[in-house]
Amino acid sequence: MKAQTKKVALCMVAVIVTAFVLVQTVQAASIGPLPPLKFNAKKAELGRKLFFDTKNSGDGQIACSSCHDHKLGFTTRKPLSDAYVSMLHFRNAPTLINTAYKGSKSVLRNKRIPWHWDGRIGTNLNDMTRDALVTSETMNMDMRIMQERLRQFPSYVIEFNDAFGAKEPSNGLVRKAIPEFLKTLTSKNVPFDQGKLNLTAKAGLELFLGKAGCIRCHNGAMFTDGKPHNTGVPENPEVFKDPVRHITLISLLGFAQGLENIMNLRRDPGYMTVSHDAKDMGKFSTPTLRELKYTAPYMHNGLMASLDEVIDFYNKGGGPDRPGLKDSAMVPLRLTDTEKAELKEFLLALSGDDIGAAVKYAKPDMDYMPLPNWVNNDYTITNYRK
Amino acid sequence: MKSSEKLMFILLVFAALLIFSPAGTAHAEGDPDFDMPLGALPPPPYPVDNPTLKKNVWPSPMGPKQELGYLTFFDPKLSGDQGPSACSDCHNPLQGWGTNEAHSKGYPGTAHWRNSQTIVNNAYLQKLFWGGSSPSLEAQAPSAARAARAGNLERDQGEARLRLAPEYVRRFNEVFGDRWPILQNAWRSIASFERYMSQIDTPFDKYMNGDKSAMSASAIRGLDIFKGKANCFECHNGPMLTDEKFYNLGVKRGEGLDGGEDPDDAMPLVQVNLRWEIYGNKGNSEWIFRSFKDDAGMWFRDKQLSSRGKFRTAPLRFTRFTAPFMHHGQLDSLRAVIDFYDRGGDENEFTKELITPYGDKYPGTKSPIMKKLNLTEEEKKDLENFLLALTADPMVLPTPKLPQFQAMADWMPRK
Repeated sequence: MKAQTKKVALCMVAVIVTAFVLVQTVQAASIGPLPPLKFNAKKAELGRKLFFDTKNSGDGQIACSSCHDHKLGFTTRKPLSDAYVSMLHFRNAPTLINTAYKGSKSVLRNKRIPWHWDGRIGTNLNDMTRDALVTSETMNMDMRIMQERLRQFPSYVIEFNDAFGAKEPSNGLVRKAIPEFLKTLTSKNVPFDQGKLNLTAKAGLELFLGKAGCIRCHNGAMFTDGKPHNTGVPENPEVFKDPVRHITLISLLGFAQGLENIMNLRRDPGYMTVSHDAKDMGKFSTPTLRELKYTAPYMHNGLMASLDEVIDFYNKGGGPDRPGLKDSAMVPLRLTDTEKAELKEFLLALSGDDIGAAVKYAKPDMDYMPLPNWVNNDYTITNYRK
Repeated sequence: MKSSEKLMFILLVFAALLIFSPAGTAHAEGDPDFDMPLGALPPPPYPVDNPTLKKNVWPSPMGPKQELGYLTFFDPKLSGDQGPSACSDCHNPLQGWGTNEAHSKGYPGTAHWRNSQTIVNNAYLQKLFWGGSSPSLEAQAPSAARAARAGNLERDQGEARLRLAPEYVRRFNEVFGDRWPILQNAWRSIASFERYMSQIDTPFDKYMNGDKSAMSASAIRGLDIFKGKANCFECHNGPMLTDEKFYNLGVKRGEGLDGGEDPDDAMPLVQVNLRWEIYGNKGNSEWIFRSFKDDAGMWFRDKQLSSRGKFRTAPLRFTRFTAPFMHHGQLDSLRAVIDFYDRGGDENEFTKELITPYGDKYPGTKSPIMKKLNLTEEEKKDLENFLLALTADPMVLPTPKLPQFQAMADWMPRK
């Protein structure tokens, strides 16, 4: 009997080990190069102009590019992002490089990666664009006014008409053109994708898949499982020290999204705002690891200035949080200094060319003019094409 | 009674009512409606759902709720980018609590489409805005503060901002009992402050209260012309000198829209705003979006083609300080307004017949009351003097010291 029990136990261990190895292999196999994204060049070109156009914000002072700077990896170097004019945000601005893949079903094999640090938008780029434009904490734009502003510029009327086929500028088309531009912002010449890892990076990859266990959450072609986790990242004290940032948090999470007890909250609840489940306190969506070279500082509140800090953070098993909140996978990794360096080398090999450098800035035309022959103009295309 | 007798009785009562009804007796010959008598203003009315301790009016001291409204009225925290879009920016105490430009200022990046109206004596109106869209001061304040081309405030942000200014937290608690400031109560406080900004001691009020020396002989003659030859009284009646009904006088299209003489002088953002109002904001049909090139006024409220180009009769109090006049500030002085009525008004897009794309015809909407008046120079002077007697002193208040944000930990430490 005893021998039999032992055999069963051994079998079970074998099965578990095999399963574990299998899962590891599947996860390892899932990381790989991103397939190219198709886009329409005319629409993308129009999207580029709109991306830099300050007419698309409530008071005409900021554009998408204000917080997603093409010269700074389509994000900024600030730990906490700016927000709509006179406001400040309580989270870090994520990069827009590869963001178009998040909504791409075919590329991600039915997996969806949501947008925002708390993962509150999981549909498509069109919705995400709308969210960024209309949210009062970001662009604060009434899109109906935006549409009429664009229609005041004959050049835009003609460009929309050409790109979309006999159609006027409209908020719907803006939400088609900007995503088309975002589809052009994809990684290029990434050493990892090209199979050009040096020996150090290769050793880093082994650690990534094995000892460091990064692959558990950072998997798939985008190096993210698209799920929220609590790793115990400490609060950024600036959020509550600066009443202007605190106001943004109350306004967005408490009033706009209905999180309870907002006036007593002194931490960023993350995914709990989406699920309204107390056990999700402090969970944030796994970010992509691509293009990290250009996107410091890191974490949802920009608390970590360098990759070294991030690796040290994971090496000691993450930060503290109440029992039951922190992800149980977060344990000390006991990496040596050499191993840390190898891991970092691998992470940097996930960054390619500085694609922002190749994107041309489009200076917005803020010089509004009366429409030609306005009294008799019915705003149809023949009145603009001369 | 037999049933036939009963019927006869009812008919008799009905006929008697028709003959002796007050509306019937007050009709002058050819007068289409009942006209409220002119009169002095009583102290401002307060609604039961927004009471106040002190029913004071300017310049006596404010009560706590009015004082809170004085702050919120001037505070840019209750506008989108906390810039130049507080209530007081378009209802400027130095410009008659309106603006002295034809078009009110818009939120940055936009232009307003209409003239900013004074807040003085608005406590007595049942319909606010040029199209009469707001039924009360409490409803008007958020409409203006939140409209994308006025204050552009998002409610969530406005409320959060009030809550991180400890002085507001204290004051909202004192006045309304709020644990944390509630935005709706900010609008109540503003309404209360606006009631405080009432003027009930004009020469006209004193005259109507029996002080016959309060108005000059010329102004008294002007009052007679107002009620008689010029027939202003037909619409400008009651203590506020408005019947709050809707008329198209044929005021020409505002120059902001078409530039007047030179199309290049048009204000492009006013054109943007008109399109937004027609199509985006108010959701009208596409053919109207493409063909209406003027502010259709009451049309936006009831969407009846017979209402196009009609605006609520403007009250005439405080007009000494509120030029320019009309919905797009088309007329820049009281004298210009008198001349306008003297020539029987002008013509605009909506005084002409409208033929819809479906072939239906709608007559122009110009009010038949508008007729040439043939006033003499002296009569015009007298009329102007009467209008000037509807205003007493300027009512000026400085910008108050506004509450500041403070980190919560500094004034509400965690236990």
